[in-house]
Amino acid sequence: MKISKSIRISRNQLLSNKIRTILSLIGIIIGVSAVIIMVAIGNGAQKEVLNKIESMGTNLIVVNAGQVQKTSGRQQIRGTVTTLTIEDADILASECPAVSKSTPVQTKKLLVKWGNLSSNTTITGTTSDYQTIRNFYIERGTFFSEEENKASVRYAVLGQTVVKNLFGKNDPIGETLRIGRVPFKVIGIMESKGTDLNGVDQDDQIFIPVQTALRRVFNLTYINTINLQVLSSNEMDFAIKQVSEVLRERHRLDRLNKSDDFTIQNQVELLETQKETTDTFTALIVSVASISLIVGGIGILAIMLIAIKERIKEIGLRMAVGASRKDILLQFIIEASILSVGGGVIGIFIGVFIAIMASIATEWTLSISIPSIIYSFLFSLAIGLFFGVYPARKASMLDPIESLRSE
Amino acid sequence: MNNIIVKAERLTKVYNKGVGGDVFALRDVSLEIHKGELIAIMGASGSGKSTLMNILGCLDKPTEGSLFFEEKEVSKLGDKELASVRNKKIGFVFQSFNLLARTSALENVELPLIYSDKVNVTKLAKDALNLVGLADRVHHHPGELSGGQQQRVAIARALVNDPDIIFADEPTGNLDTKSSYEIITLFQKLNKEGRTIVLVTHELDIAEHAKRIIKVSDGRIVSDELNNSPRNAETELNKLVKEVKNEN
Repeated sequence: MKISKSIRISRNQLLSNKIRTILSLIGIIIGVSAVIIMVAIGNGAQKEVLNKIESMGTNLIVVNAGQVQKTSGRQQIRGTVTTLTIEDADILASECPAVSKSTPVQTKKLLVKWGNLSSNTTITGTTSDYQTIRNFYIERGTFFSEEENKASVRYAVLGQTVVKNLFGKNDPIGETLRIGRVPFKVIGIMESKGTDLNGVDQDDQIFIPVQTALRRVFNLTYINTINLQVLSSNEMDFAIKQVSEVLRERHRLDRLNKSDDFTIQNQVELLETQKETTDTFTALIVSVASISLIVGGIGILAIMLIAIKERIKEIGLRMAVGASRKDILLQFIIEASILSVGGGVIGIFIGVFIAIMASIATEWTLSISIPSIIYSFLFSLAIGLFFGVYPARKASMLDPIESLRSE
Repeated sequence: MNNIIVKAERLTKVYNKGVGGDVFALRDVSLEIHKGELIAIMGASGSGKSTLMNILGCLDKPTEGSLFFEEKEVSKLGDKELASVRNKKIGFVFQSFNLLARTSALENVELPLIYSDKVNVTKLAKDALNLVGLADRVHHHPGELSGGQQQRVAIARALVNDPDIIFADEPTGNLDTKSSYEIITLFQKLNKEGRTIVLVTHELDIAEHAKRIIKVSDGRIVSDELNNSPRNAETELNKLVKEVKNEN
């Protein structure tokens, strides 16, 4: 018997029992679309992380004062370490051949006022090199220069969120706001940057010269962070070693036989930490989705077994009128395959549709991956065959007389 | 009559029922069926007549003895060849019709053709339905047909591949008297046209329409005689119709 005839018989069978067919399709549809959506979410999350890391700046090394503790993928600095200074930043740029630029950073959350309005905002004391190192540039107006920093002028550059919160539709450039009690003149507005890896809004930030920040606002002599740009990405490890040596020397750690009072992190490390988290997340949701595919397969198995019980007489009749065992086997395998392939195809459409809708409706980044579509389709086909072969074999081994006699 | 279609030699069928010991459904049965015969196999229920028919129809295998279908030994055929014999050489009619529900009469009749290599499937099926007088019921589903009509669809299905022999297992068992006579009339007509038919029945009334009556009891053939004056179902049918008219 030709395959095309078997396919026609199977199709007619499935069409003649629509509710049962739809029920068994639903399992596979949900499974396949779940896999596609979940992989899209996982991929999207990963892409977002990569984008953020890239937007942090190229070949970036971050030196933090104190030992950074990693707890569940996030970093926290423990205690206050007062040994990192602006001079360290300058020396690192001049003494480490692999480091091209450096900028000191000291941040603190403070109350900012303009007119009647106030806002609690991160104040970042830094230098103009911050823009190149962190790949975060001025959009309008000017950034304060190195000379202005050295002169401790009270100039401020605002992030987009600050502008929105304090000034609304007014033009902030030229206006004077108060950081704590100190008046600052707004000279520029930064481009929009979005959230960082920890979900902190980077636009809710005011940049002021680091010298001004330490002397007039924070009243400190030390800083908590130095950002460094390395000449090229293959010199990262080399740069880290140089920075570590210079800092240990400057902080006299070797002589006092102390461990590092700073932590050096590079992009790759950050990337790996984040990737680990998203990988685990993706693996978890995809495995949950895969389980639903298997459940869908078991649904097919159950429906096929019921179908055979119900159609035992029909099977006997088909054998009596000339169907060979192979014909019966083929018919039921094809039936299971139609269910799984049909469910797979519908599931792909629904999955892709929902993923697209979700990425439009929410702010999540969803990235539909072609391999996930192929994988889930092949998986559903394999499941259909796997769970279809057993009932099909069972059907083909039936005794024609007993089948005909059964009620 | 040299045209032997089926030749059975010392068939024995034993069912192993475990605790109660072996059950002999057939003991040492030998017989020959020739082309053009209309045979009734008679016996009470449990006599082994259905088992005999199933073995003769290549649906079941004997425990001992051998069966030759057109000189080929059936036990030596593989599953595929056996299926092909059932498909092309044998037609079955069952007591409970065994039509596929939710499937039109035409498609039911087409069923054996699906497993053959014939091409003009629909035309052959329509011809067969025409032959049993159901040309106007082609697209009806079994549920929309009377018992007699359903059995005629089943006969059309048995005929459609132009088999060498038709086995009918209690074909009138589920039918009223009038429909029974209609079915037997049809069988007699088909036999007259040269078809070989084997009827299995427990009713003497039905068996008397055959040209040869084989009586089976307790797994053995107790008599195998030619019936020189078979009853004619058509005359009886006409008589029955007349009686019903008179009563009204």
